[in-house]
Amino acid sequence: MVQHSTTLDATFTAVADPVRRGILERLGHAPASITELADAFDMSLTGMKKHVAILEETGLVHTEKVGRVRSCTLGTRRLGREAAWIARYQQMVEERMDALGEFLQRTTGDE
Amino acid sequence: MEITNAGRRATLSTPNDRELRIERIFDAPRPRVWRAMTEPELVKQWWGRGNPLTVERMEVERGGHWRFVEHADGEDHGFEGRFREVVPPEKLSMTFEWDGAPGHTVVQTITLEDLGDNRTRMVSTSMFFTKDDRDGMMSAGMEGGMNESYQALDRVLAAMG
Repeated sequence: MVQHSTTLDATFTAVADPVRRGILERLGHAPASITELADAFDMSLTGMKKHVAILEETGLVHTEKVGRVRSCTLGTRRLGREAAWIARYQQMVEERMDALGEFLQRTTGDE
Repeated sequence: MEITNAGRRATLSTPNDRELRIERIFDAPRPRVWRAMTEPELVKQWWGRGNPLTVERMEVERGGHWRFVEHADGEDHGFEGRFREVVPPEKLSMTFEWDGAPGHTVVQTITLEDLGDNRTRMVSTSMFFTKDDRDGMMSAGMEGGMNESYQALDRVLAAMG
């Protein structure tokens, strides 16, 4: 019996990262190996293993070794409401910052 | 954790479950960034993330009221709050509420650091209050048979796009 760390802090940290949100989204469509995920996110295997490990610790992702390949699927744990709201708020702030950056570039030299 | 995004996103950290910190570096001098954040005619051009924005109030002074309405997909989304601290051109602190969940407030503090070379670092710190507050925000904002699965989160995030 695996004891998952299900504190809000851990979940918050897990979903606060845009790469990890991307991994959850992708696994929502179909399971994938670590190698496939690393390729999809243009990242080293080591880097992707770390992200997957963080998601696995919170129970959001489940991994299983099949032969030489580690296959990742969405875990069965439900995502807390707080974590979902924070992820939503964070995405909004990040989108506004991106939009501000684009605006500043667009208007360079206007004044 | 370190995240790069075209070299502009510096770091994002989550020191605890009540605070969210996001950093970004802009290729613009600090006074320009400050003006873009505080002058209504400029705010209108980016705050809506591509959606039309109405700036209903923008009283950039301590205790002053701000209220923006974002028009997205035929719906109006109102956001408002009051300025708590205004120190041009380096610090802006304000409360943030969404009309969909009145009374559940986030305090956002934005600091701008002059890095020289016409670059500016922005640090945004958002403080959430009690879990009850967050629950209130969630129940008001995510009704409609949404379950708490990842798929639901995906839909919400996609719908926000």
